[in-house]
Amino acid sequence: MLRSPRFWPSRKVSPEGALASRPLGFFIQMMPRSTRLFGLWFERRIHLWLLLPAGFLFLFLTVFPLAYNAYISLHHFHFVRRVFYFTGGRNYLRLFQDGLFLAAIGNTLRFVALATATEVLLGTGLALLFNVRLRGRRILLPLAVLPMMLPTMVVCAVWVMLYDYEFGFLNQMVRSLGGTPVPWLSHPGIAMEAIVLVDLWQWTPFVLLLILAGLQSIPDYLYEAAQLDGASGFQMFRHITLPLLSFQIKLAVLLRLIDTFRVFDKVYAMTGGGPGYATETISLYIYREGFRYFHLGYAGAASLVMVFLVLGLSVLYARRMWKELRL
Amino acid sequence: MSTRRVLKNAILYPLLLMVVAVALLPIGWLLSTSLKTPLEFLGGGISLIPRQPTLAHYQEVLFERGFLRFLGNTAVVASAATALSLWTGSLAAYALTRFRFPCKLDAIFLLWALVVRTIPPIVLVVPLFILFRELRLTNVRVILILAYQIYTLPLTVWMLLGFFREIPREVEEAALIDGASRLQALARVVYPLVMPGLAASAIFCIITTWNEFTYALIFARVPADFTIPIGIATFITEYRTLWGPLAAGGLISSLPLLGFTVFVQRYLLRGFALRGVF
Repeated sequence: MLRSPRFWPSRKVSPEGALASRPLGFFIQMMPRSTRLFGLWFERRIHLWLLLPAGFLFLFLTVFPLAYNAYISLHHFHFVRRVFYFTGGRNYLRLFQDGLFLAAIGNTLRFVALATATEVLLGTGLALLFNVRLRGRRILLPLAVLPMMLPTMVVCAVWVMLYDYEFGFLNQMVRSLGGTPVPWLSHPGIAMEAIVLVDLWQWTPFVLLLILAGLQSIPDYLYEAAQLDGASGFQMFRHITLPLLSFQIKLAVLLRLIDTFRVFDKVYAMTGGGPGYATETISLYIYREGFRYFHLGYAGAASLVMVFLVLGLSVLYARRMWKELRL
Repeated sequence: MSTRRVLKNAILYPLLLMVVAVALLPIGWLLSTSLKTPLEFLGGGISLIPRQPTLAHYQEVLFERGFLRFLGNTAVVASAATALSLWTGSLAAYALTRFRFPCKLDAIFLLWALVVRTIPPIVLVVPLFILFRELRLTNVRVILILAYQIYTLPLTVWMLLGFFREIPREVEEAALIDGASRLQALARVVYPLVMPGLAASAIFCIITTWNEFTYALIFARVPADFTIPIGIATFITEYRTLWGPLAAGGLISSLPLLGFTVFVQRYLLRGFALRGVF
């Protein structure tokens, strides 16, 4: 694709010239020198100013919490017993000797892989479906994304009811079709998949909307030009839609990966990590150590390990996206 | 209608309806539960249609459990958090796609945005609690608006990157040559073009903040400050779950979001020009 050369960085513009050509430029030049200089300084650094509000919020919300976590993760910190002393890396050592933590990492990775892959595939398919101009689309789309709008609490409660072995809607359907009821949430082999299904139901609409927005912002003239050149529907999809959509698809993968990695509320509300430890996830482990047993230092260490895990997974990916973006 | 069009409709409509049906089945169950009397609900049965539909649960939730107040709190916090995210996030995304930054500041910024979103909320809760206390920040709404940026701001920045990139620079250069300042060009020319992206981000932001649970639970200590998810959580007690109010509350809570999505989708779905592809 043709790309224009890099947009001129504002600092290379001759400031006086830019100012004079502006409406009110004359008045600006009449202003006291200090005010004018401030205006120029502002314009020249505009890229930094634009980044400032968001950057400030990011730093404000993370620097202290992360530092705090790193600090207490090096200590034995029991909140209720008021114990606090330095232990060095012992929390981390203990963490990697704990079979449950390692199992939690494995479970979380399985959940992430299953949920992310199915959600992105399904969501992309649905977005293509909803991208076709059909009558009634404006009514069906909000209905299709409705699952995303329910509070997670309610979603979990509903699905626990639907999954119920004796009275649940799903098993009653199975029975009326003559099958044997399925122990959805109480069998270690399928409990995780059952939770993935709920996540799928709730968050596929997210991918759908994300990709649909991307599809809708592809300029029409590209398709018009291709059609004039006699391209078939599939060719247009392969050579126009897919390349222009690749950023949105990758972003969907990235965001779902990050969000599913934190999965907490669904597991907490539906299985509590069981049966056995079949659905134990890292977030649940941290929650239990920190808020049930009050081992805050240990929980801090676990959460730092978790952050590094996700970052390790996503940074490589995000870097590729970033490079592509800068082309 | 051409045969091709008929064929297309015959394939696509059943598919669409099936998708919507799968999405709506659990919600239909919720709706029927909210309309059933407790007696009928406990009686069980697969039937989705209540025998004696009653609005008693809605009445209870809205007027006896203070949901009107929770709705107000949630609406203020969620819309303010969304507005803040869209404002700061779009400025940042624009700057990141248009300028070069010294010292790889841009890459670091985006990476940091990911860091913000990857930290599990249960980890941030305690330090943020300490931080807000030390800053003498006591207004729960302000605290929640700030804390919710953890969810919404990284999402907005990353999402809008893709949309800003698609806008040809020539459009903006034309505005600059015509004498607009950069901020004017941004407001008049660039923003209208990224509307689908802004609309989608707004929907995501408002949904996440509307239903956020962890921070609301920690920071809202008195019922006057509760948001809807906290109000709903009170229906799940240690001994039993109040299914009727739970269902009614969940549906009431998602109605404004549905309304917002219907309103915003006009910016999401552009209704013109050639769209016959695929």
